[in-house]
Amino acid sequence: MKHPVPVAVTGLGCICAAGKTLPETLAALFRGERAPAPSRRFATSYPTPFPVFEVTEDFAGRDDLLRTSLLALAAAGEALADAGWSRESLRPLRVGVCLGTTVGSAMNNEDFYREYRQGQEPSLAPIRRFLHSNPAASLAKEYSFDGPCQTVVNACSSGSDAVGLAGAWIRAGICDLALAGGADELCRTTCNGFHALMIASDAPVTPFDRRRKGLNLGEGAGVLVLESEALRSSRPARAFLRGYGAACDAYHLTAPHPDGAGLKRALREALTEAGATAQNIAFVNAHGTGTVDNDRVESRVLAEVLPNVPFLSTKGYTGHTLGAAGGIEAALTVACLELGKIPASIGFAEPDSEQRAVPVTRTTTVAGDLAISQSLAFGGNNAVLVFGRGAR
Amino acid sequence: MNGMAIQGIGLVGGFGCGRDAFAAALSSGAAPTRPAPFAGGEIPALLADTAPLTRFVDKRALRRIDHFSRLALLGAHLALEDAGLPVPERARLGLIVATGYGATATTFAFLDTVLDGGDALASPTHFSSSVHNAAAAHTAILLGITGPNLTVSQFEMSVPSALFAAQGWLAEGRVDAVLFGGVDEACAVLRYCWHRFFPEPSDVIRPFEFDRQSAVPGEGAAFFLLTGDSGKARYGRITEVRQGNAAVRPPLLDEALLYLLGADGHRECGASYHRYLPASARCAAYAPSYGSLPVGPAFDLVVAGLVCRDDRLPSGAGGEALAGRELCCLKFGRGEDYGVIRVARD
Repeated sequence: MKHPVPVAVTGLGCICAAGKTLPETLAALFRGERAPAPSRRFATSYPTPFPVFEVTEDFAGRDDLLRTSLLALAAAGEALADAGWSRESLRPLRVGVCLGTTVGSAMNNEDFYREYRQGQEPSLAPIRRFLHSNPAASLAKEYSFDGPCQTVVNACSSGSDAVGLAGAWIRAGICDLALAGGADELCRTTCNGFHALMIASDAPVTPFDRRRKGLNLGEGAGVLVLESEALRSSRPARAFLRGYGAACDAYHLTAPHPDGAGLKRALREALTEAGATAQNIAFVNAHGTGTVDNDRVESRVLAEVLPNVPFLSTKGYTGHTLGAAGGIEAALTVACLELGKIPASIGFAEPDSEQRAVPVTRTTTVAGDLAISQSLAFGGNNAVLVFGRGAR
Repeated sequence: MNGMAIQGIGLVGGFGCGRDAFAAALSSGAAPTRPAPFAGGEIPALLADTAPLTRFVDKRALRRIDHFSRLALLGAHLALEDAGLPVPERARLGLIVATGYGATATTFAFLDTVLDGGDALASPTHFSSSVHNAAAAHTAILLGITGPNLTVSQFEMSVPSALFAAQGWLAEGRVDAVLFGGVDEACAVLRYCWHRFFPEPSDVIRPFEFDRQSAVPGEGAAFFLLTGDSGKARYGRITEVRQGNAAVRPPLLDEALLYLLGADGHRECGASYHRYLPASARCAAYAPSYGSLPVGPAFDLVVAGLVCRDDRLPSGAGGEALAGRELCCLKFGRGEDYGVIRVARD
């Protein structure tokens, strides 16, 4: 393993149920606010309506693209503005887009398929919209980028992987600037899938708590602007991507390895790449879905690899936004590292006797120059990002 | 970094299973289509049979594995077998799957359970297998691959886009080798959509008739074992991967290269080949042998590998000698996005 050059993060954007921008989201987190509720956009027939974390923005008048792409565009717009880039100023650059998603790449329109099954001739509009809505491609098209373009579909680690992969593009000189992160919309099909797996909770999510009952789905997008040093020159960086680790459990389609084998390898790889030890880590933004298996495995691994490092799950505020989670959580991690504090891990109240590490229960001042954002996923994927403080 | 050496190839498609079956289809110029049904009709298609997978994986282990993942598993096993190299340390082996549409048949099978039985009877098995990275997960589990694992879905650009990741992993020393593949299936609902979008079915792809819609749906998997070493590359070496959008900036296409066009009978994409290729460029196209599918460039990369091995084009294309030229797999998608994969013989 080499020690890759750190990559500058010059802009951040985030839209989720906690806020339509990153500052709004951060403010909600530090106020300890959250408002999971049954979806306004679709109904299910379960006796108890499962709460979700829905973005209030309706994107009225934009039915040309899937909501996932519209969420991505919103976060990307904020991130580019934060970095000081206008559309015009980006034109001469080679700009790449690397976005994670799950729903944004799934051809699963229920109305279309129902009519198909009934032998009708369904409108092809949903299929056309799907074909025009590849998240990375729709972002590239919106801004007329012509660099590398990649939609990562690694389930719930997609957003983290996308940031790590885009970092490699910058280091390799494949592009000057990359928009990286993830986007996902709430979807009835996905809700039914998580209910079928019996890992969705009918109450507000309680990551790492003894009484946790499962996840609440959410939606949103988180996008980071990554820049080469040649491009950034003397402009400030909000942070540096210092390490990325990825490893597969190769164990089960939907459950993590009981010992967290892949997560440990991903963590160690990311730490090695960053040239860091546990002592250098200010905090961890954990995956923390609120499912029994994830939180048990993750807390064990954190206790073993990063003992005494403060950690939280921001999914208590945003819900599990699937392919967007890694992007949103990376943005929140960088912002909290800048602030030098992390909010309470909302929903956690009572420690689980099986867990050797517990999250923070109040706003906590953190010390250290590095922070970690990590994701676990279906398929046994594990992705870990290490961010370092920026330079003004 | 000396590019990515192609050390093993494994593939399955409408032409059959393995390199020999593919070579035979290339020699004859096209693979025969067969009628493929959908609700209310049928169209000609090139569909793949994964029965040979039982040579590698016990039938019992395959019970809950769908057609899409079986395609990936078969391609992956064949590529490793073909490479004939000592099995790399599994934690140092990366796995990448590129797919245009993912496991569509299982996605719709999941919707069947919802539409038939209501929300409460949604199938957890179908749901977990419908996730785009299920094929990569099954492959990792059955082959014990614990290195980084990635699935990319970028429609027609899935293969060149995903190759960036393989390139990065090898260059940064994250892995010693990458098992890389493109997979797509042509399920009944996709065939129905195809029929609606293109009401006049074609039985054979005419890749150079750029103005004519002649695409025939195909499915399959094409896998490669890629290494970053500087030793002999059995099937040539990928020297450059590039993506862009010609509508934003016209691509720089060197007329000295031998182009393997991803032209697969889609009129919407065909115009770009005509517009951007140098008039004097030598071109060949092999989609009639594998069909039209988003990961077609993976099959063109197989052709490039075989050309590098044999130092000449397939006999169906006249068996023209490579004569020191580099190959360039060129794919245009909708909206003039393009992908370039350059391959050189060692």
